[in-house]
Amino acid sequence: MVQMVAWITSLVFMLLIAAVFLVVAIKSKEKREYEPIVKKWYKARTFYGAILVILIIGVSLYTLRLIPFNQPVYSEGEEPTIVDVEAFQFGWNITETEFKVGEPVEFHVTSQDVNHGFGIYDEDMEIIAQTQAMPDYTNKVYITFDEPGTYEILCLEYCGLAHHQMVAELVVK
Amino acid sequence: MSEMMVRLKSRNNLIVTQMVVTGLTVIVGMIFGIIMLLVQGGMIEAMPATFYQFLTIHGTFMIGAAALAATAIMWYFLSHYVELSKKILKINLVLFIIAAVMVTVGTFSFEYAGAWTFLYPLPALSASAWGTIGALFYLIGMLVMGVGFLLLFIDSGRAIIKKYGSLGKGLGWDVIIGKKAEKDAPPPAVVASTMVTIVNTTALLSGSTVLIMNIINVINPAFTFNPLLAKNLTYAFGHIFANATIYMGVIVVYELLARYTKRPWNSSRVFLVFWTMSTFFTLLVYPHHLLMDSVMPRWMLIMGQVLSYANGLPVLVVTAYGALMIVYKSGIKWDMASGLAYLSMLGWTIGVIPAIVDSAIVVNHVMHNTKWVPGHFHMYMGLGVIAMTFSFMYFLAKNDNGLKETMVDKTAFFMYMFGLIGVSGSFLTSGAISTPRRFATHLPEWMGPAQFGAVAGILVVIAITIFVIHFIRYISVRNKGNIGSDYYDKKLA
Repeated sequence: MVQMVAWITSLVFMLLIAAVFLVVAIKSKEKREYEPIVKKWYKARTFYGAILVILIIGVSLYTLRLIPFNQPVYSEGEEPTIVDVEAFQFGWNITETEFKVGEPVEFHVTSQDVNHGFGIYDEDMEIIAQTQAMPDYTNKVYITFDEPGTYEILCLEYCGLAHHQMVAELVVK
Repeated sequence: MSEMMVRLKSRNNLIVTQMVVTGLTVIVGMIFGIIMLLVQGGMIEAMPATFYQFLTIHGTFMIGAAALAATAIMWYFLSHYVELSKKILKINLVLFIIAAVMVTVGTFSFEYAGAWTFLYPLPALSASAWGTIGALFYLIGMLVMGVGFLLLFIDSGRAIIKKYGSLGKGLGWDVIIGKKAEKDAPPPAVVASTMVTIVNTTALLSGSTVLIMNIINVINPAFTFNPLLAKNLTYAFGHIFANATIYMGVIVVYELLARYTKRPWNSSRVFLVFWTMSTFFTLLVYPHHLLMDSVMPRWMLIMGQVLSYANGLPVLVVTAYGALMIVYKSGIKWDMASGLAYLSMLGWTIGVIPAIVDSAIVVNHVMHNTKWVPGHFHMYMGLGVIAMTFSFMYFLAKNDNGLKETMVDKTAFFMYMFGLIGVSGSFLTSGAISTPRRFATHLPEWMGPAQFGAVAGILVVIAITIFVIHFIRYISVRNKGNIGSDYYDKKLA
């Protein structure tokens, strides 16, 4: 879902920019005095720059509300299931791998050796959450599974020759 | 030939050599890139060890080539305004070649496959895939390369300070605060070079620090250091160093489009303010590579996101906008140099968009380390910096001895443009369907975009080979003695 929004948003803006470049390239064949062009388009730039700044502030405020590390995934009084995850070359030690739909889970992720990436994929092989697995540190990722099924854990940080084989499964009933 | 012309010829000789090394390195690097896509697309087979060695060499060669080309562009144009040391330029090139050999030996003879963005303690802990010698060849090779570039930027800093008084004045701060008139502001080439001198010196010091600590750790594993500090230093280096190539490369756009359109591209106050913003933002935004490390101070991650957004402003509001304005109704005569310069601005600007999108923590949470990331940097590096590089090459060829461009070159231009849009688009599509980056094998549903990317990549490598052949033709004509029609050279002589 987030991925599609990101893709479509990027595509729209990229096409818009490409269209502007194309129009300017076509218009470059005409020859006009530069001074009036500068005057007119500097004015337009002030307006365009202001819109971009407003856009940046708006999008920042909106998206920063949703920081994944801040999200309370469980209501008051409800205890989350804490799952310790330890990555190693080339596998995962996960203290619990079976969960229920709606159960709030906190993965506490670290590594035995080098940096790894703890990426959770749903049944459609779409990433739904991730964090880094780092030696000496514990990163947390919060999640409440909405759908039953078999989820896969893939390593998302290059860690050596069998990096792509670091797979584990989580089952949600 | 006057003494001045002899001096200029020797300067251009060095730049030409540097560009040849760049061109050939890019072609070799691209071939490894295409092979990786073919493997991921299931079209050919390779052992994971081979794949990751190719990944290591592809990344190292491409970033090295981009930096070498970009420094040549910066050096060439900056030398029109300040007195740079040719000796240092030569030392940098020699150290670069030594480094390239060491990296290649470490990778292919001793099977080092930690990638150029290795994170401590991967070089020492390879799960028996490579040994101490391979890691040391690679790490020391990178350190040698870093030392060469550091010397170059110390020299550019020295030369700018000597001419303008300080790095602050090189950025035009005295004009910004009104002490000096806009008309006396340093030219864009000097402003950009000052910015890069500041950020790249910082980057290279961070990179050297983390390299030296890794080297000691490889030799003596009992010496350990903080992995989070190492990660910060690695990304501070990698992010700044990669981005600085664009800020150096863009100098060719400033110089060329102004000359081709016969319109001035001066350093206005707004221009100077935005370059100062770029200087600070480029130094500060690297934490957006650590958004998936919740142990990082929260404020740094938020800063990483917000400043990444803000860092888009200088290019979107000043540089790209300036390029569009100067070209608009200018009657410009398009050729390969001006076309590639203009195209590079498109590549940079559109490449910024998916980068900005991914720097939102909430998006990064599901797209970090997917192929979305190479998607955006292949756009602003591949279609940005590389286009700037070849724009400069075509400019040199035409300006230095008037070598004519053919239909083949023009065809190559469109092959290159559509090919790179194809490569980047395939990566972005892969990222949108959650394909992890740096994976030796792909699931069947991930293979389609990789196959498309490989075919598009073949188009690009053909186009770039045509560009390089043009440049080699120029060298052969040049060696026959027909040189020196450079506008600046004439002016200086």
